[in-house]
Amino acid sequence: MKRNYELNRLWIALLVAVFLLPLSVSAMEMDDCLGCHGYADEVGEELFIDADKFTPTVHAEMGCVTCHESVTDEHPYDGEAVSSADCLDCHEELGNQYIATAHAENAVCSDCHNPHQVYGIEAVSGPEMNKQCSQCHEDADVMASHAEWLPQASLHIAKLPCITCHTSAESYEIILNITQKQEKEEGLTGYRFSSYADLKKYSGEKEVQRVIDIDADNHISLAELRTFNRNPAYSDLHLSGTMVPNEVSHDLSTLDNRYDCTFCHASGPGSMQTSFLSFPTEGGTYRRMTVDEGAMLDTLYGTPNFYMTGSTRSAALNIIGLIIICAGFIMPIGHGTLRFLTRKNRQH
Amino acid sequence: MAEEHQDQIYLQPIPVRIWHWLNAFGIVTLTVSGAQIRFPDYITWLGSYKSAIYLHNTAGFVVAISFSLWFFYYTFVARTMANLYVPKVDDFKSGILKQVKFYFLTYFLGWENPHHPTPDSKFNPMQKSVYLAIMFVMMPLVSLSGIFLTNVDPLRGLIVMVGGLKLLAGLHFLLACCLIAFIPTHVYLATLGRTPTDHIKTMWTGWEDEEEGHKKEPEGSTPTVSS
Ligand code: HEC
Ligand code: HEC
Ligand code: HEC
Ligand code: HEC
Ligand code: HEC
Ligand code: HEC
Ligand code: HEC
Ligand code: HEM
Repeated sequence: MKRNYELNRLWIALLVAVFLLPLSVSAMEMDDCLGCHGYADEVGEELFIDADKFTPTVHAEMGCVTCHESVTDEHPYDGEAVSSADCLDCHEELGNQYIATAHAENAVCSDCHNPHQVYGIEAVSGPEMNKQCSQCHEDADVMASHAEWLPQASLHIAKLPCITCHTSAESYEIILNITQKQEKEEGLTGYRFSSYADLKKYSGEKEVQRVIDIDADNHISLAELRTFNRNPAYSDLHLSGTMVPNEVSHDLSTLDNRYDCTFCHASGPGSMQTSFLSFPTEGGTYRRMTVDEGAMLDTLYGTPNFYMTGSTRSAALNIIGLIIICAGFIMPIGHGTLRFLTRKNRQH
Repeated sequence: MAEEHQDQIYLQPIPVRIWHWLNAFGIVTLTVSGAQIRFPDYITWLGSYKSAIYLHNTAGFVVAISFSLWFFYYTFVARTMANLYVPKVDDFKSGILKQVKFYFLTYFLGWENPHHPTPDSKFNPMQKSVYLAIMFVMMPLVSLSGIFLTNVDPLRGLIVMVGGLKLLAGLHFLLACCLIAFIPTHVYLATLGRTPTDHIKTMWTGWEDEEEGHKKEPEGSTPTVSS
């Protein structure tokens, strides 16, 4: 095993060397670069790269020099500017899609993305995605402009990432996050997303996902959801739902069909069937776990605090409601028939 | 006026009539818009979903406010709330049974209604218990749950405490169904007067014919029945 691993590394190193040698004039490795850039007191806040955040990302697999080709062995003493790769070199599809929008005039890739902390959509929570936008679009302004046409705008903005309405997607899925009451010291009332440390208090020795995933099979069943929602020990926690695109696109714009509430508030085929539970990880990102189909439509205990009128109605309640309404016609029909048959009795 | 209403009693004062018809039209509006809100894929009578929501919320507040007016009028102005709406011990002991017997048996035999409405005792014991359930339990609960549903974000903490948004919406829906079920029954019973439109006219004009007055009625052979 071990020898195999070593051999693999050798191959990779060789490959990298073959590819990069002609491009780069530096023999420095990632660790060398981070030896300076990993410490803010060494290079200053501006040039600081958070190694803990960078290392787990897919970009780290490529090494620094892949993107900073022009860096030399004499760096930083050569006084030369270091080149940085263009995102479009590698992200052609998304990149071109974005460049084609009017918004490309307003923001470039690195306004929203830190190249040294890139995450896939599944690893980012809704509020964090929205932080990317709120750098330029102030929350209060967005709330005010959306409240002009969107009832309960604060609820919608809190529950939907901006990209759900401002980018297109083939389909959407429901992501559930564990939220908890805010402490008094935090100044605000209401709920916030639970962090890894928060959940660790509940799960103790076990992994945080065991708070819900009792049998540790990396899948949340309806029974597990109900158990979690009814457990009095978790009364300060609740699951908050959000609707996100199943795939990222970057055609950032105002999509007219989002004016139409039934884009979300109506049940199409299979809508509301796919959902995931998103758990915080130690590194501050998120990890998704699949949830049984139809959890959103469970009458009461599947997701007691996620209810989108029109699309998450319960079929069981519909039937009960129908029976109640039908009962209202028993009197007119039953009594009315007898009344008609006995009408002679009342003609004194 | 006095001449005209000689054989009549003034049963439904103006505030009650205003409340009644506001409430009636309100609830029909709420039913139609509520149906579109719950079943937007089948029901699109009101055009866009948004207009259904706005209409429902507006009608909801009209009904909630008219409910408060009704409550205020009976409790503080007419001061007949307890008298009219709360069943007495006797009502439970024999009154309800007597009334049920009338509606489901002796009515068909052509007997008279054992209850004679007066301004101080408008409702028969059966009406009292039904109206009590509707006006003191269902209406307040449906309005309250509706008000919660229009303020989900600000009231989230309370909603979670109550047991969740789904429970609240489910409760709102089932209570709404109960109120909807009440409509056909209510309208039907209202036609059991001397003539089918008798009681309905009373709710519009306020005046109800006296029992003895039925000789004056052109077709006045049917006995009075109060719904
Ligand atoms: C000995 C410490 C040290 C090492 C090792 C080091 N850097 Fe730097 N780096 C610096 C300093 C200091 C600056 C600021 C230089 C300046 O302002 O002229 C800098 C600047 C940069 C810049 C910004 C240049 C600009 O024009 O804004 C980049 C990009 C960079 N380094 C990349 C790297 C990469 C990639 C490596 C590894 C291959 C690396 N550095 C290794 C100290 C270091
Ligand atoms: C996926 C490509 C990519 C990789 C890998 C990468 N960088 Fe960068 N880096 C960039 C880009 C693009 C910029 C320019 C950002 C901008 O314009 O704001 C940049 C900017 C920098 C800067 C300037 C300060 C800043 O944060 O804007 C430094 C320093 C730097 N990188 C160091 C590193 C080091 C050290 C590594 C490896 C540990 C590394 N980079 C790996 C793409 C990359
Ligand atoms: C040298 C090629 C290269 C460059 C340059 C590059 N990337 Fe990437 N990036 C990749 C690869 C490879 C992946 C992983 C596969 C994928 O998602 O396409 C990736 C993934 C990502 C991801 C998703 C991370 C995840 O975990 O799924 C984001 C976001 C991202 N890149 C943004 C950027 C941005 C912004 C820039 C420009 C600052 C950039 N990339 C420049 C190669 C590159
Ligand atoms: C206005 C903000 C914004 C700009 C500008 C932007 N992005 Fe993104 N991007 C996002 C958001 C939001 C996400 C989803 C959350 C996440 O993964 O960070 C995302 C996700 C991504 C992903 C991950 C896709 C996946 O499958 O998970 C890539 C790759 C990416 N962007 C590349 C780019 C590139 C390349 C550019 C520049 C051409 C760019 N982005 C410009 C906001 C932006
Ligand atoms: C770097 C700043 C910046 C960031 C980050 C940014 N925007 Fe913008 N955006 C602008 C500017 C500037 C405008 C044009 C002025 C305006 O309408 O406010 C704009 C316009 C828009 C518009 C109106 C476009 C139109 O066609 O009417 C939308 C929608 C929008 N942004 C959405 C977003 C979303 C969603 C995000 C986050 C994913 C985001 N923006 C992030 C700067 C930014
Ligand atoms: C429910 C869907 C929805 C959500 C969620 C949403 N938007 Fe919008 N947004 C729209 C629609 C539709 C318009 C067009 C409104 C108009 O033309 O008046 C719009 C308009 C805008 C505009 C241009 C008008 C203006 O305010 O200047 C900006 C900027 C914008 N949105 C940013 C955001 C940001 C940032 C977020 C996330 C915090 C967000 N939106 C969330 C649907 C949405
Ligand atoms: C992009 C999807 C989306 C669009 C478009 C959208 N909504 Fe929503 N709506 C949601 C989500 C998500 C919630 C919050 C569900 C929760 O957290 O329980 C919600 C909640 C609501 C609620 C409160 C829910 C309740 O149970 O009482 C109302 C009312 C509402 N939306 C009305 C509208 C109206 C009106 C429009 C059109 C102007 C609209 N929505 C457009 C997704 C959407
Ligand atoms: C009194 C008769 C009422 C009836 C028959 C009624 C009916 C309904 C129905 C059928 C729904 C859809 C339920 C669902 O999606 O599960 C609904 C939703 C709703 N109702 Fe009512 N309702 C009534 C009163 C009220 C009142 C008094 C209010 C408060 C103002 C109100 C506010 C709401 C709200 C807010 C919703 C959720 C959709 C929305 O936010 O507009 N309702 N109602």
